Amino acid sequence: MTQTATAAETEPEKTVKALTTDNIPAAWEAQILAFACHYCAFAAADLAGVMRLSYSPNVKIIRLSCTGKLDHSYVLRAFERGIDGVFVAG
Amino acid sequence: MESGPQQIGSVVIVGAGIGGMQAALDLADSGFMVHLVSKDSAVGGTMAMLDKTFPTGDCAMCMISPRMVESSRHPNIKIHTMAQVTEVSGVAGNFTLKISQKARYVDSEKCTGCGVCETKCPKKVPGEFDQGLAKRKAIFSLFPQAVPNTRVIDPDHCLYLTKGRCRACEKYCDANAINFDDTPQEFNLKAGAVLLTPGLDTYDPTIQQELGYGRWPNVVTSLQFERILSASGPFKGEIKRPSDSKHPKKIAWIQCVGSRDPHNANPWCSSVCCMYATKQAVIAREHDAEVTPTIFYNEKRTFGKDFDKYADRARDENNVRYERAMISAVYEEAGTGDLFMRYVDRHGSMKDENFDMVVLSVGLQPKKDALEFARIFDISTDEFGLPKTSRLSPIETSRPGIFVAGTYQGPKDIPETVVQGSAAAAAAMAILDKSRGKEVEEVSLPPEKETGADEPRVGVIVCHCGINISQTVDVEKVAENAAKQPSVAHAETVIYACAPDGQERIKELIKEKGLNRVVVASCTPRTHEPLFQDTIREAGLNKYLFELADIREQCSWCHMGQNEVATQKAIEIVNMNIAKASLLQEVKSESVPVTPAAMIIGGGIAGMTAALSLAEQGFSVHIVEKEAHLGGLAAGVLHTLEGDSIRELVRRKNLQIDDHPAITVHVNVQVSKTEGYVGNFKTTLSDSSQIDHGVIVITSGGNEYMPTEYGYEESDNVLTQRQFERRLAEKKLQKGDRIAMIQCVGSREEPHNYCSRICCQDAIKNAIAIKEGTPDAQVVIYYRDIRTYGLRESYYAKARDLGVRFIRYEVDNKPQVMPDGQEFRIKAYDPVLEKEVIMTSDYVVLSTGLRPQPANEELGKMYKLTRNEDGYFLEAHVKLRPVDFAGEGLFVAGLAHAPKNIDETISQALAAASRAGAILSQSQLAVSGIIAKHKRDKCMSCLACFRACPFDSPFIDEDGRVSHNEVKCTGCGICAGICPAKAFQVNSFKDDQITAMIDSLTDSVPIHQAAKNSMEKNDDPNCNCS
Repeated sequence: MTQTATAAETEPEKTVKALTTDNIPAAWEAQILAFACHYCAFAAADLAGVMRLSYSPNVKIIRLSCTGKLDHSYVLRAFERGIDGVFVAG
Repeated sequence: MESGPQQIGSVVIVGAGIGGMQAALDLADSGFMVHLVSKDSAVGGTMAMLDKTFPTGDCAMCMISPRMVESSRHPNIKIHTMAQVTEVSGVAGNFTLKISQKARYVDSEKCTGCGVCETKCPKKVPGEFDQGLAKRKAIFSLFPQAVPNTRVIDPDHCLYLTKGRCRACEKYCDANAINFDDTPQEFNLKAGAVLLTPGLDTYDPTIQQELGYGRWPNVVTSLQFERILSASGPFKGEIKRPSDSKHPKKIAWIQCVGSRDPHNANPWCSSVCCMYATKQAVIAREHDAEVTPTIFYNEKRTFGKDFDKYADRARDENNVRYERAMISAVYEEAGTGDLFMRYVDRHGSMKDENFDMVVLSVGLQPKKDALEFARIFDISTDEFGLPKTSRLSPIETSRPGIFVAGTYQGPKDIPETVVQGSAAAAAAMAILDKSRGKEVEEVSLPPEKETGADEPRVGVIVCHCGINISQTVDVEKVAENAAKQPSVAHAETVIYACAPDGQERIKELIKEKGLNRVVVASCTPRTHEPLFQDTIREAGLNKYLFELADIREQCSWCHMGQNEVATQKAIEIVNMNIAKASLLQEVKSESVPVTPAAMIIGGGIAGMTAALSLAEQGFSVHIVEKEAHLGGLAAGVLHTLEGDSIRELVRRKNLQIDDHPAITVHVNVQVSKTEGYVGNFKTTLSDSSQIDHGVIVITSGGNEYMPTEYGYEESDNVLTQRQFERRLAEKKLQKGDRIAMIQCVGSREEPHNYCSRICCQDAIKNAIAIKEGTPDAQVVIYYRDIRTYGLRESYYAKARDLGVRFIRYEVDNKPQVMPDGQEFRIKAYDPVLEKEVIMTSDYVVLSTGLRPQPANEELGKMYKLTRNEDGYFLEAHVKLRPVDFAGEGLFVAGLAHAPKNIDETISQALAAASRAGAILSQSQLAVSGIIAKHKRDKCMSCLACFRACPFDSPFIDEDGRVSHNEVKCTGCGICAGICPAKAFQVNSFKDDQITAMIDSLTDSVPIHQAAKNSMEKNDDPNCNCS
């Protein structure tokens, strides 16, 4: 999917424009969407809160009944609509 | 109970650890009212303190926490914390218990568990839960996940209660829950049966000053080390030593501290320490790969299911060093905090070694008040203060109607505690069969409104949670933003959504504003969703029209001090949940009738015990036995180690089964096929007869290994322990006879690398019988590790006292048996003497282990049950569901599960009967609402779901196409993820609902310009992607 700049130059017609360190503004932060299993990873995210552990607020969590419920379409849709990283935990 | 006083349909359980909770849940699910009495301020017991559990490395809190929540939410369970029983009167079926409950000083009706009081309390004291390694406040909860989560004031340390000043907690409690005028309460409870599950204490090693505990700060107990490992412990899971917070590298564990030491401490083996030390060593290395663990042990007692393999992996893959040595003293090196030990190694030479930290593997012992406790309940105790039970009825006390379970009955691990919890529940169910369902309350609810076709009108309630959310998140702004969402009819904030007034407000709003969907933005759905679902149901809405947005645990608490970004994140979280909520649909949960009968496969001790228990509970039972008689493997054994007659047990159970009208025995038959699902099975036997039943209990047993080693097949004087037991009963030995016993024949090495658990006791039992019958007979036992765990240890000591000789051998250097005329010459290498020892013997007795029943393979295929690599059935969960299979309505007990002793088989069979009884007692079995729904018109019957489902819910129907059995479905959604036609949708997790959440989020978060450009795909003229 993401290709290097060199690859993009040699085969420009096949690439979606890649993100490189050159075109990322300094203030940019990755938006992460997590899909978490209700029973374990979602519980772990709760425990992080109970213990007042701090992490980047750019992480948002969608609870699933089990990560077995994850559908390819969710991941693709998230990326398509601009999410930078998808974290599946369960 | 045909006559006598009225039978009470309630049970009092004293002790709310994992064993007590298991018993409570089983009884409550079976229609009994349960009073769970705990002397602590929260339920959970010892297991809640543990970090991980052996042999799977699962997180203890992740396992126990759902059980705690379930216990507290069950309509048939009442939890009485900080309470003790002070008097018991009455008889089985009708007891009256006097309960004395300490003052909590916090009103649990008003308290919302927000915890502000605890942060404001100025007084710090060493925390009991963290074993003194961290401080707690004078108002505190036992641990972060405590259930109930009402804080408690410690009157010994509270500044107001001791010195009359402060009251900070009262000032900051917006819920007005602090009550300094609280007083101790006394009240009576009526119960038909009483279950005692108070647990044991750990040994206090300060008594053994030579080990340095309490003197050298870096000598800790194993329970302290659990807290050190725990992510919610004093060091947040970082391995530090107490003196200087350095990361210790060389860590030593000293085994048997307080155990197996009749002169200075306790004579018994605590059963769990070898495994927990191994686990701690492995987990320590997972936390910090530079840790080099050494375990100093006497006998490696890793006897449970898959334990030997775990210990082997610890040694071979995790570099855990096992050193067989006794440590007599630990010294501190001045100035460094390091510890220094001198010991005699396995070769007999003196060694000095330094360590950064030393962990004392402390054993289990009765609580200080054990005798007083037993006196209150008027039950007999043994010489150690443990309740007197027998091997053949391990959960019955001397007083009818009072049962015991868990470590209080004797040292044991978590799964055996859970097993006994269920077993004790079964015993109570059996004596209270007439009063089942009499004391549980039916809840009446208003009819549900039909809202399916209406436009969504979402109501949003944003919770301040005192200041837990509102000091970080601008809740008013969150509500304002929510109100702007298209489907939202109303949004507002409340101080505490979960408090009674908050819930009333939600009900009012549903009526006033005509809401048909509700979103509460507060804490985690894992604990609070059921509460709010009940609330909206009381207002006439289907309970699945609810969403909980977690803006406390997953927002305000982890982004403290970042108010602006936290508020923005909370808005995004709430809007995502609103997007989902507007697409939520009503879920009607179905129910199916239950056939109140059980089929038990295998009529050994396990099957007979389970059958009798289920019949006494009031259900029909069919025992299916492939042989001509019931009794199984036990029919060939005469006595237990303790001297109980097993023949008499088999005879008695046979008579009881013959007499019981509800039990039908099918002998000389096997199962041909079973159709159906939980509650509604139909089985055809090999004689073509058919059985309708609601559950299946698999007690197919095991086999004795028949050896080929050591010339067994060549001589009549080489026998197995069982054959020798019978020979001994028939004919007394001659004066001067010499008997050699060899342990672990066919066990504990590949391809059968597991401990059979029974062989050490068999050898000791027969050795004692020989020496008692013929004192000058000579007995030598060649062994690898003597595994007389628990209270069996005293028989090992007795055998030694009687003059039985023990010679250890290593697996790669086994004894050699050479026939020499009528005698045998046995050559063995003694690792202590470091010399070969040759003995002559008249008999060679082989301690052969157990093998799985060959029929297990077929049974496994028939019912789609997994087996471990040794061929024993694999339970649903090694720790907390030890008699359940993953498939609903199927249970396992006895040797089919793993090698075990007869008392353990009996407990497990009763446990299976308890779990099975909980299903059979329901007239209708409710199907969960969160399940996958199958659309046949979309389905192409490609079988992807059929292959992927772990629960066998999709099946090939009579028309050859796929159908879906919703009774078996757990809602995991693997089918929905894998189905190419999208024929499956999981209720409340439908694709459109999840997609709406993704869209809501991506509409609002700042998307990097370059990413947007690439999304638009038109900035590059050469790009031809469409």
